[in-house]
Amino acid sequence: MLEIRNLWVSYGGLPVLRDVSLTLARGESLAVVGESGAGKTTLGLSILGLVEGECRGEIIWRGKNLLALSEEELRRLRGREIAMVFQNVETALHPLYAVCDQVAEAMVVHGLGKGEAADRALALLERVGLRPDRARAYPHQLSGGEKQRALLALALANDPEVLVLDEPTASLDPRTKGEIVGLLLEMVRDRITLVITHDLAAAARLAGQMAVLYAGRLVEAGPAADLMRDPRHPYTRGLLRAYPHLATTKDLQGIPGRMEHGVEGCPFHPRCTQRLEACAVRAPSPVPAGGRTLACHRGGIVPLLEVRGIAKSFGAFRLLRGVNLTLYEGETLALVGESGSGKTTLARIVMGLTAADEGEILLEGQKVEKRTPEFYARVQMVFQQPGESLSHRLNVLQAVKEPLDVQQRGTEEERLSVVKRVLAEVELPCDDGFLKKYPHQLSGGEVQRVAIARALVLEPKLLIADEPTAALDASVQAKVLKLLLDLQEKRGLAILFITHDLAVARKVSDRVAVMLEGRIVEEGPTWEVMASPAHPLTRSLLTWAGPQLPPAWARRGSWPAHEEFSGPGRPSAGAVSSR
Amino acid sequence: MHVDYWAHLKQSNAGRAGLILVCLLVGVAVLAPVLSPWNPGAYTGAIFSPPGREHWLGTNDVGQDVWAQLLFGARTSLAVGCGAALLATLLSALIGGTAGLLGGLYDRFWMRAVDALLVIPPVIPAILVGAYLRPSLAVTVALLAAILWPGEARVVRAQILSLKERAPVAAARTFGAGWGHILVRHLIPELGPVLVAVFVQGVRRAVFLEAGLSFLGIGDPAVVSWGRMMQHALRFTYLDVWKWWLLPPGLALSLTLGAFALLGFALETVFHPRLRR
Amino acid sequence: MLRDRPFATYVLAVFVILSLNFILPRLMPGDPLLAIYGEEALLAMSPELKEELVRRFSLDRPLSAQFLAYLAALFRGDLGHSYYFNAPVSRVLLGFLPWTLLLTGLALCLCAALGVVLGIESGARRGRPQDAVLLSAALFLGGFPDFFAGTLLLLFFGVTLGVAPLAGALTPYAGKAGLSLVLDVLHHLTLPLLTLVVVRVGPFYLLTRNTMVTTLGEAFILTARAKGCPDRTVRYRHAGRHSLLPVVTAAGLQYAHLITGALFVEMVFSYPGMGTLLYRALLTRDYPLIQGILLTAALAVLTVNFLLELVYVKVDPRVVRAR
Repeated sequence: MLEIRNLWVSYGGLPVLRDVSLTLARGESLAVVGESGAGKTTLGLSILGLVEGECRGEIIWRGKNLLALSEEELRRLRGREIAMVFQNVETALHPLYAVCDQVAEAMVVHGLGKGEAADRALALLERVGLRPDRARAYPHQLSGGEKQRALLALALANDPEVLVLDEPTASLDPRTKGEIVGLLLEMVRDRITLVITHDLAAAARLAGQMAVLYAGRLVEAGPAADLMRDPRHPYTRGLLRAYPHLATTKDLQGIPGRMEHGVEGCPFHPRCTQRLEACAVRAPSPVPAGGRTLACHRGGIVPLLEVRGIAKSFGAFRLLRGVNLTLYEGETLALVGESGSGKTTLARIVMGLTAADEGEILLEGQKVEKRTPEFYARVQMVFQQPGESLSHRLNVLQAVKEPLDVQQRGTEEERLSVVKRVLAEVELPCDDGFLKKYPHQLSGGEVQRVAIARALVLEPKLLIADEPTAALDASVQAKVLKLLLDLQEKRGLAILFITHDLAVARKVSDRVAVMLEGRIVEEGPTWEVMASPAHPLTRSLLTWAGPQLPPAWARRGSWPAHEEFSGPGRPSAGAVSSR
Repeated sequence: MHVDYWAHLKQSNAGRAGLILVCLLVGVAVLAPVLSPWNPGAYTGAIFSPPGREHWLGTNDVGQDVWAQLLFGARTSLAVGCGAALLATLLSALIGGTAGLLGGLYDRFWMRAVDALLVIPPVIPAILVGAYLRPSLAVTVALLAAILWPGEARVVRAQILSLKERAPVAAARTFGAGWGHILVRHLIPELGPVLVAVFVQGVRRAVFLEAGLSFLGIGDPAVVSWGRMMQHALRFTYLDVWKWWLLPPGLALSLTLGAFALLGFALETVFHPRLRR
Repeated sequence: MLRDRPFATYVLAVFVILSLNFILPRLMPGDPLLAIYGEEALLAMSPELKEELVRRFSLDRPLSAQFLAYLAALFRGDLGHSYYFNAPVSRVLLGFLPWTLLLTGLALCLCAALGVVLGIESGARRGRPQDAVLLSAALFLGGFPDFFAGTLLLLFFGVTLGVAPLAGALTPYAGKAGLSLVLDVLHHLTLPLLTLVVVRVGPFYLLTRNTMVTTLGEAFILTARAKGCPDRTVRYRHAGRHSLLPVVTAAGLQYAHLITGALFVEMVFSYPGMGTLLYRALLTRDYPLIQGILLTAALAVLTVNFLLELVYVKVDPRVVRAR
C-alpha cells in the first residue's frame, strides 16, 4: 500500500503541490488528471524521490517514509520497487544504446548478472511486443509506439510493485494509443499504478480511480467512471466539458480565466461560478462525500432548483403526476417530451404562474413558499412565444428595463447602462434608435433576443427557457443557443431547457429528462441517454428526430482488428470527380 | 523577444573582466609614445641592462628598451588582430551571408570550399606563404584574414539559415515582403550580435597567429612584435635576461589572448541562453 | 559538422595544399630553380644536381607540365632535395616525423581524456565552486600561447630547477635499451607533452562541460535516474557518453591545433621533431624542406580527421554510413 500524506512540494519557495493526500492499495490504479502545470508530473516524481524542490509531508511505502530516505536508499528503490515511465517518448530513451541494453541495465544496476539481464531484457521486450530484432535496435530506428513499449519494458524490468505512468499515451496516433492502452491494462495488473494524464479517455480506460488536481491541490477523487458520469466539483465538470471525446454531445465549453498558483483560499475560486466569500479565505480540505473525496466549501456543485413530487390536475385530467427534478448550478437540463406532456405547466409552476396541487419547490435548498422579488431576481424565464411576451406598447428600452424598474434597482442612469450592457451581451445594437423601436419593428430573432435580454437583466442564476428558439430560423437559433451557453460558461447560469427538439437538446444540455404523460420516464447524462436510450419513448423520439446517430462502436468496445480497415471505403466526392 | 545583449554581457563576470582588459590594452597601445621615454627601435647603448630607473624593464642584446618594445608590440598585436579580424568578418559576412541567402549551387560551391579549407591547420598556409613572401604588416593582415574567414563564414551562414526559418521572417513573407525588406529589417539587425562574436573570436586567433609567425621569424623584422621579442630572448635563456625580456611579452600576449577569450566566452553564453545559469 | 563531410572534401583539401606548394615559388620573380630552392641553396649545389632537379621537375617546361611532374614526383614520394641536409626531403622527414607523431598522439589522447573527465565533473556541478574554478582555469590557461607556456615550463623545470632535460628526445650516446630507453624517452617527452596538454585541454574541457550542461536536462537522464542508476553511472554512462559526441567531432579540429602547437613547442624544447626541423629550415631558407614539413603536417591532420570520422560512425549509432 502506498500512502501519500499531506504532501507539499515547492520549487524555490513556490508551492507546486499543496497538501495532497492519496492512498493506493495493491491492484489499484489511479489516474491523476488536470491541466498542464497542475503539478501532476511533480507528484509522480516525488514518489520516486526525483523532485528537485523541497518536499514536506510523508510518502509511506512499506512502513518507510520515502521523503526521509537517503539518496542511496532511494536509488535502490527506484526501478526495483517503484518505477516510472516518462512522458517524452521521443527523448526518454538514451539515443546511443540499443533498447535491450537499456532494459538490461535497469536489471544490472540492481544486482543481476549481465548475461542473465540481457536474456531477461529480450524476453521482457518480447512480452511488450518488441521482437528481438526490434529490441536490439536503437531508439531512432523505432516508431513512437515501439519506443513507448520499450519504455514500459524498462519500467517493468525489475517487476516493480509501484508503477508511475506519465502521459503514457500522449503523442501517439489513435491506433497505437489503443494498442498501448491494451498492453498497459495487461501489464499493470496486480501493481499499484499511478497514471498521470490530461487525456480523460485514457485515464478512464486505464484507471479505476481518478483524482483531479488543480493548481497543486486535490479537488476531487473517486471511482473514475463515477467522476466522468457525474462530476461533483465545478472544476471536474469544467474539465469534462472542455474535453472532446467521441460521445460528446454538448458544445465544448471552456472555463473562464486561467489557472494560477498561489491563490489565497480555494485555488479554483477565481474561476468558480458558485463561489462564496468563504472560498477566498480558506482552502477547503478534501472530505469524503458519498464514495468520493471532494474539496469544496459548497460540497460540490450545488443543486440550484429541486422539484419534488409536483402534481397538477385540471379537473379530472392529471397533467402532472409527481414530477421530481434537480437542476444543478451552471448546468443545462433539457426537459423533452411530446406536446401536452406537461413541460410548460411544470415551468409555470416553478415560476409561480400556476399553483401546484401537491409537492414542493426548493431553491438553493430553501423551500419556496412565496414568490418574492428576491426569488425572481434569481429565477427568470424566457417564454415560448417571444413576440407575445413583449408588450407591443413598450419599446425595447422600456421592455428590457421593466424588471429593473419593478425591482427598483439603482438610479435611472444605472438602469440605462445595465440595459445597454445586456443588449450588447445578446449582440443587439444599443444605440438610441434601436432602444426606441417597438416589437413590431423588429425581426423574429431580434424579438427573441430582446426577450432573453429582459430575462437576463436581473442577472439570474437560473433561466427557464421554454422552447426559446422554436420560432426562429436555424441560423438565428444557432446564435441564440451559443449565446446562452456562453453566458453559462461565464456566469454559471443554470438553464432548464424545455424543448421537443432532441437535436437541439443534444447540443445544449448536460443532462436530459424525458417526460411522458406528466411523469419523468428517463433521466441521465445527455450523451448516455442519446447513445443508449432506455425508455421506448426516448427511442421513438430519437428515431423520429432524424438521421441515425453514430454507430455504437464509437463508445466503448474492442478495438477493431486490422482487417476491418482494409475493405473498400466510401469514395470521397473528390475521388469520384477526379476520374 | 528583445534581448539586451549588452546588459547580459555586463552582468557576466567573464564579460566584464574581458571588456576591462581589452579597454586597458587598447589604451596602452594608443598611448604607447606617451608612456615610454624611449623609441622602441633606438639603440640606447647599454646592452642587457637589468630593470632600473633608466630602463623600466631593462634592455636587450642590442640595447633596445624592453618597456618601449612591449608597448609598441601591443600596437602591432592589436592592429594586426583587429585588422585581420575585421577583414575576415567582412569576408565571412559577404560569402557566408550570400551563400546562406542564395543557397543552391552557389552555396554548395562555397561550403565545399570552406570545408576543405577548414580541415587544413591554419598555421600551415600562414607559414608557407610567410616564408616565401616575408610579408609586411599589411600583407600579414591580409594573410591572416584569408586564413580566418572560412570558419567564420560557416557560422554566419548557419545563422542566416536559422534566421531565414524564424517566425518573424515567415510572417514578413506572408505580408508579401521582398528579400530586400527582410534583409534590412530582419536579417541584418539579427546578424549584428553574431558578427560581433565572430569578430572577437577572430581577433583572438589573429593575435595568436601573428605572435606565432613572428616567433618563427616570419614577417617584417623592422616591426616590433611580442612574438619576435620572445624569439630573440629565447636564445639567451642561459642568462638572467629572460626575466625582463622574455616574460613581459609572453605575459602581455597571454593577457591579450585571455581578454579576448573571456569576452568570447561571455558572448557565447549570452547568445546561447541554455548555457546561462 | 564532421558527420556530413564527404571524402571529396579531403581530396579537395589535399589539392589546395598541393597547389599552394606548387604555385607559391613559381609566383616569385626570376629563375624557378632560384625561387624554389632559394639563393643559399643554389650556391651550395653542384651544377649536376641543379641540372638533375630541373629535369626531375620539368622546370624548363610550361606550368601545366611542371604541375604534372610535381604530382608525379609526389606519388613517388619525392618531395625534392634538402640542400641543408644534402639529402632527399622525404628521408630527412622520416627521421623527425616519429617524434612529432609520438608527442601529438599522446597529447591528443591525454587532452581528450582529461578534458572529458574534467568537463563531465564540472558540468555535473554546474554553478558550484569547483565548476567555477575549473572554468576560470580553463579560460586562463587557454590564453597562453603554446610557445610561451613551453618557455615558462622550460625555464622553471629545466633552467631553474634543473630536473628536466633542456633539449632532445633521448640522452645522446647513452646506448640505453629496453625499459631504461622508454623511461629516457618519457623523461624527455614530459615537458613538451605537459605544455601541450596544459594549453590544449581547455577546448576539450569547455566543449564537454557545455554539452554536459545541456545533456543533463534531457529526458533520458531522468529515465536513467528513475531506473535506479547510481550517480556515477548517470554521469558517465548516460550524460558523459552523450556529451562525447561533439568532442569526437571537435577532436579533428583540435588535432590541427595540437600539431601546429607541437611545431612551436618542439622549437622551444629543441625536441627533434618536425617543429625543430621547420625552425631550422626557416632559418636556412631550405624551401623544399619547409614545403615537405608543412605538407606532412597537413596530411597528418587530414588523416586523423578522416579516422575520427570513421570512429564517429561507431560512437553514434544514428549515423548511417553513406558510402
